[in-house]
Amino acid sequence: MSLRRYTKGVDGTIPVQALLYEDEELLASQDGIGIYDGTDKSAPHQSGIAYATTHRLFYVDAMHPDARSFEMDLSHVARTEYYAGLFTSSPKVTLYLHPIETPPSPVDGPSGGLAASEDPAFLSWTCDVCNYRNPPGLSPAASRICALCGVPRSATSSSTDGETTSSAAYQLSSSLPSSSGNFSRVTTSSSSSPRPASPPPQGPNDEIACPICTFLNHPALTMCEMCGTPLPKRVAPPRASQQIHAKSAPASRPTSPLPDKDGPDSRMIRLSFRKGGDKTFYAVLRRSLLGKGWELKSTKAAASSHARNKSAPGQTSGLSGINGILRNVETTAATSQTDMEDALKDFEALTVKWRDMVKLAQDLNERLTAAPSTSTTASALPSFTTPSGAAPTSANAEVLTTQAVEPEEATFIRSSLAQLGLQMANAPVTLDMIRDERRWIEELARELAGVLQGGGGKEKREGIMRQRGIVGLDEVWGGWNRARGVALIPPSTFLQVIPQLPQHTDPPIHMRTFTASGLSVVHTPPYTKAAFTARLVGLLSLAGPQTTVQVAREEALPIGLTQEMVNEVEDEGEICRDEGGSGLNVTAGLSGSGWASSGGGEVRLWVNIFQGYVWDGQKP
Amino acid sequence: MTTSMSTHTTPSGYLLPSIHSMPPFFTQQPNPATQATVTENWTRLILSYARHRRLFYLRVEDAETKGSEWDEVLRNERINRRLMPSHMSFIMADMVSKNLAVYEPPRQTRTVLLHWRLPEEWAEVLHEWASSTAQLNTILTFYEIIEPPVPSPLSGIPATLLRRAVAILTKTNRAQVIAVADGEGVRFLPGNPAR
Repeated sequence: MSLRRYTKGVDGTIPVQALLYEDEELLASQDGIGIYDGTDKSAPHQSGIAYATTHRLFYVDAMHPDARSFEMDLSHVARTEYYAGLFTSSPKVTLYLHPIETPPSPVDGPSGGLAASEDPAFLSWTCDVCNYRNPPGLSPAASRICALCGVPRSATSSSTDGETTSSAAYQLSSSLPSSSGNFSRVTTSSSSSPRPASPPPQGPNDEIACPICTFLNHPALTMCEMCGTPLPKRVAPPRASQQIHAKSAPASRPTSPLPDKDGPDSRMIRLSFRKGGDKTFYAVLRRSLLGKGWELKSTKAAASSHARNKSAPGQTSGLSGINGILRNVETTAATSQTDMEDALKDFEALTVKWRDMVKLAQDLNERLTAAPSTSTTASALPSFTTPSGAAPTSANAEVLTTQAVEPEEATFIRSSLAQLGLQMANAPVTLDMIRDERRWIEELARELAGVLQGGGGKEKREGIMRQRGIVGLDEVWGGWNRARGVALIPPSTFLQVIPQLPQHTDPPIHMRTFTASGLSVVHTPPYTKAAFTARLVGLLSLAGPQTTVQVAREEALPIGLTQEMVNEVEDEGEICRDEGGSGLNVTAGLSGSGWASSGGGEVRLWVNIFQGYVWDGQKP
Repeated sequence: MTTSMSTHTTPSGYLLPSIHSMPPFFTQQPNPATQATVTENWTRLILSYARHRRLFYLRVEDAETKGSEWDEVLRNERINRRLMPSHMSFIMADMVSKNLAVYEPPRQTRTVLLHWRLPEEWAEVLHEWASSTAQLNTILTFYEIIEPPVPSPLSGIPATLLRRAVAILTKTNRAQVIAVADGEGVRFLPGNPAR
């Protein structure tokens, strides 16, 4: 009952994927499905596979996939009910269906035109407005509007190309011949179409004659090879269709629909899950029903057009067609233009501010420089930054309290600036000041030399190096960028600048990298490998074996750095080591597994006693 | 700590080299070149001491525990240093790679048989002893060679080393291995060593 009215036959030998509309998606499948038509079992559909898609529900019969399979639009489903099953009764899903306003009766399905309007999915049609030829294969809802301009398919189009629709009806009837046994609607529509009275002339070899140019086309073609006119699909001879009709008529006649008997009981279909899988399938089906995939496209289009046209509310209904598209494009372009202008304005403002900032920093520096120089001349103090000079300066500050800038504070600021490396005579060198890159690097090297060693001899400032002869590269980079404040130097540029450094520093500052750890340092000549080695060997031969800590104290260097340098000397073979370790203590020695971890003894550095050693023990 | 380099004579009458009194000698050096010198000197010390005391085997345990016959060289009480077992294993491996020792028994690395005479040298010593004691063409058992009634240069030689020496002599037709009632015997022949 409901089955016949709500479902359409499909050829189940075709894979379901191939039957889908273009915008349809297969979601789930389940075998072992039996179908109830209303409350009663539908005898021919007791074992098959059910497929749920975004638009439809498919049933493919296991025994006779070609004759007994069908599909049903999910748009018919009003609500669902789930029954978990009890003892021998299988779990079931009941689909209650909307009543159909104009139920097509299988017997008096009058014309091919009606059949075509019912199922526009298999038609290609031309939009009235933009003349776009919409491809077949879309879902009914999607195919109702033009895919290009969104204009609904006008009612006139179906009448204007009646030729197409009627030919499509032929095509439909012959493309789904398997359904004729169960669902006579299609068959009858072809047999009782208005055309059979004047069938197109047919060639002796089943070739189809074009109704316009009379060219005999191959039967597989749907359009005339010569003039492109849609060809009437070759129909079966009237005798054959009569046979089918005669066969199917007795089967269908007793069950022909009675509209007034259309109670809610009969408007339902049940799926019985003989082999389980009901829960997942039901969940997918429900999601598909909630998603309303069959009307998704139109709503999505409406929503997006709505969103794009926030500036013109109330016009959304009229925003279809080319006007709507053009307006959308204009709005988008205008928005991006405004955004771009805003961003550029912000950027310009930032540039102006940056110059102000640099100027401010320069001013502050100059004023601070001016203040100490006056106070220096007044008190005849040699330096502000030397630590020993701090006490006299503060004493001096009491004398010079009348000065505009308090010298004590200025001293404090300047000395802390110097400590941080935030001390520069001029504004930082930036690339836009100097065009040539080599010159730029050179200028940077000069600037870095100033940062490292303080200014010239006259200005009594100390750089990052202070009294030290060796400084880690990371500290130099950080200090330099702190001193620059703006236009920071990336590490790559920094590494380019370092090789230029010896030309601008006195004593020349070089870089060296410790191979073991990869630590890089800049250093003055006394800290080259050769100089340090000589000094260390001298120390060891003079003062005897030393630990690394003792060497570090002697050199006034950090222990870690000393260790690196000592390791390099050891790699050279100039010194050797005595781990001492546990001495003769046997138990501690057992736990030690190698020279790196033996005991807790300190490593003592020795001059390499093995160098040039000649055996002086017992000779055989 | 004393840093003076001086030789020292042990109670067994062995003259230790001056380097033995330097603490770094007992430390495995990270510098490979320095360590090569250390290993070379240790090898020489071990082989020379082994010849002095007629020791054939060196075990890692000798470095681990006090009281072995190797104490005089593996420890230096005067500077409070000893050779670490791991260092000793390293030296042993180096000796084996230079054929100055072999792992005995094979397929382990804890004990080595020292070659303070190479097997070829032992072969010559063996033949020399046999001819000088007029035992050519007589059949001698291995036991008679290892434990002769009159002490010989071969007294206490390990059987494996003796076997190797005999095998070398057999190749040059100066010895013949013969099965006797209580094991194996060997007959020395007056071969021409020059050939």
